[in-house]
Amino acid sequence: MIDTNHKILFDAAKCVGCKLCYKACFVDVIRWDDKERKPVFKYVEDCEHCFYCASVCKKDCITVIPDYSSEKLLQTFDRYL
Amino acid sequence: MELKYGRENHSADVLVIGGGIGGLTAAVSIKEKYPELNVLIVEKQTTGYSGKANKGGGVLQYFDLKRIKPEDFVAYHVNTIGCFLGDQDLMATYVSMNNHMFDKLVEWGAKIPKREDGSYAVIPTGPMTAIIGVDLDITLKMRQTAEKMGVKILDKISITDLLTSDGKIAGAVGFSLLNGKFYTFNAGAVVLATGSQNFRIGPMWSSGRGDGIAAAYRAGAEMRNAEFGNFAQLVKVRSHEEVVYGENAMYNKMDVHVTKNFRTGPEPDISSTAIEEWYRQMSSNMGPITLKIERPSGGGLSGMWDRPYGQKFWQLNSEAADKVDTDMEVCPMLIGEQSPVKTDHSMMTTIPGLYAVGDVSYCGSAAPGAVPAPPGRNRGSGILNAVFAGIMCSESAAETAKKAELLAIDDKQLDALAERLYAPLSREKGVKAKDVVRYVQKAVGPMEQSVYMNKYRMEIALRYIDIAKGLVPKLQADDFHELLNCHEAEAAVLSAEMLFKAALLRKESRGWFLREDYPETDNKNWLKWIIVKKQGDNMILTTEDVPYEKWAVKPDL
Repeated sequence: MIDTNHKILFDAAKCVGCKLCYKACFVDVIRWDDKERKPVFKYVEDCEHCFYCASVCKKDCITVIPDYSSEKLLQTFDRYL
Repeated sequence: MELKYGRENHSADVLVIGGGIGGLTAAVSIKEKYPELNVLIVEKQTTGYSGKANKGGGVLQYFDLKRIKPEDFVAYHVNTIGCFLGDQDLMATYVSMNNHMFDKLVEWGAKIPKREDGSYAVIPTGPMTAIIGVDLDITLKMRQTAEKMGVKILDKISITDLLTSDGKIAGAVGFSLLNGKFYTFNAGAVVLATGSQNFRIGPMWSSGRGDGIAAAYRAGAEMRNAEFGNFAQLVKVRSHEEVVYGENAMYNKMDVHVTKNFRTGPEPDISSTAIEEWYRQMSSNMGPITLKIERPSGGGLSGMWDRPYGQKFWQLNSEAADKVDTDMEVCPMLIGEQSPVKTDHSMMTTIPGLYAVGDVSYCGSAAPGAVPAPPGRNRGSGILNAVFAGIMCSESAAETAKKAELLAIDDKQLDALAERLYAPLSREKGVKAKDVVRYVQKAVGPMEQSVYMNKYRMEIALRYIDIAKGLVPKLQADDFHELLNCHEAEAAVLSAEMLFKAALLRKESRGWFLREDYPETDNKNWLKWIIVKKQGDNMILTTEDVPYEKWAVKPDL
């Protein structure tokens, strides 16, 4: 969704540079730094919290923290606007 | 025209746009039969990881063809889901190919769980259908198979427009998300496998941004059943996690069971009438609505199958949801699943040489009738529909490609498309893609505008679309990621416009499609498909009679 407040934590020290998280991202949130051989979480505002990046990471470097309350359900009633 | 970010040209016999399950099946099927053909997949993210099959997937629809005849399922489907708008021949072919598709998927590397005796681990979902799990690396395995067969793959390139020459397909143009380079592709046949339009609301469904639909529309392809682009699902209000098969267990704030019989039979899930009831309850201050269903323990169905690749993915998703969910309060969320690119039985669109497979053309193919794209109220049909369409297009696409000479691309056409492509980057000021998308979401999001519709509310929605349309020429991007967002925003506006214009025209209720002001199904006047087409700068809507006379299951007239 748009205008969300999700967070992605990344432990660079544990990363082995396998690039799987970059490939796994289906919405172009993650870019790849060729020089450092590390992911760059560049467009977190577009994250869809699918957790694919975290689930393919063999070293558990990535923690996705969704802020569901920042996602709008867009229904007309006050509690779901 | 001089291009700021450089240019690269490619040619192929068959260009496949989209590296999800539909595109991969088309590429592999073509290459299997015609290894001499040069097949190229272009994907805007990463082939094998993109699309929906490896996220929302995990199950396949299964028919026990020793017990069920395809025509039996067709009769059931026509009466309960498709409501006489479906192409019964195409649906029967889909069913009859079911077991063959399983064999092909296994051959191509998919891991489909089996029991100890070697049979597939089928779980019946009703008298007609059953499901089987499939692990989420299905698309990765398909990518490996495709590469072994010699299919070429280019990732991180977004296709923005199709190229035509004398009314036939000639190729496509796009840009690199990484460096902005302009890409041109000449091809004898093009297979569009870019998914549906989901309006960026449902998180997991977000890969379908309708850019392929928009490209086909701009190139002159006809659309069909665009009004069935309004799929919605009940979600838990805190985690937005979907709850399937829950609509018969909705309770209002007075603890009254409001939806006892909304699921018609055991097989189809979420019904739009349950959404209508949710809206009625909320409007009369009887909300919130809570589901009273037992949550399956031990992972529910997932525990039935060994799917090691997907295990961590599902676990992380449900753990995050469990952290915020405190009860079973639900509300509907628009998913969309607009899939209107019109095709014939070989999945060829109305542009010769252009094919459309998977979620881009599910409703456009007319196979399902009056229901949005997979799951189309039948779980597990999404992956198999894409596999089906990928196989169905292969023969014709290959034959077209073999006969085709690569057509010369008119420089003027290329210049105009390049200018259109980069326009948001050339603007110093303007509006951001998300601001345009938000107007579209205000139009399509509320259930009473897009699912339980009436004329008045759809006109409100169209006013939002008019605002969004007015902003499209001002879209501004600072980098290539934003440039992609701009093109996707433009596609969302177009999809929403055709959704509401077609929905306004259909003055009846049928299957999933509900109008408060026309609650009855009108077989006298509306056994028709609505066709949407670009003519000059205008969106033209016409109708086409459904040829129900030639099919076995006849409507009550």
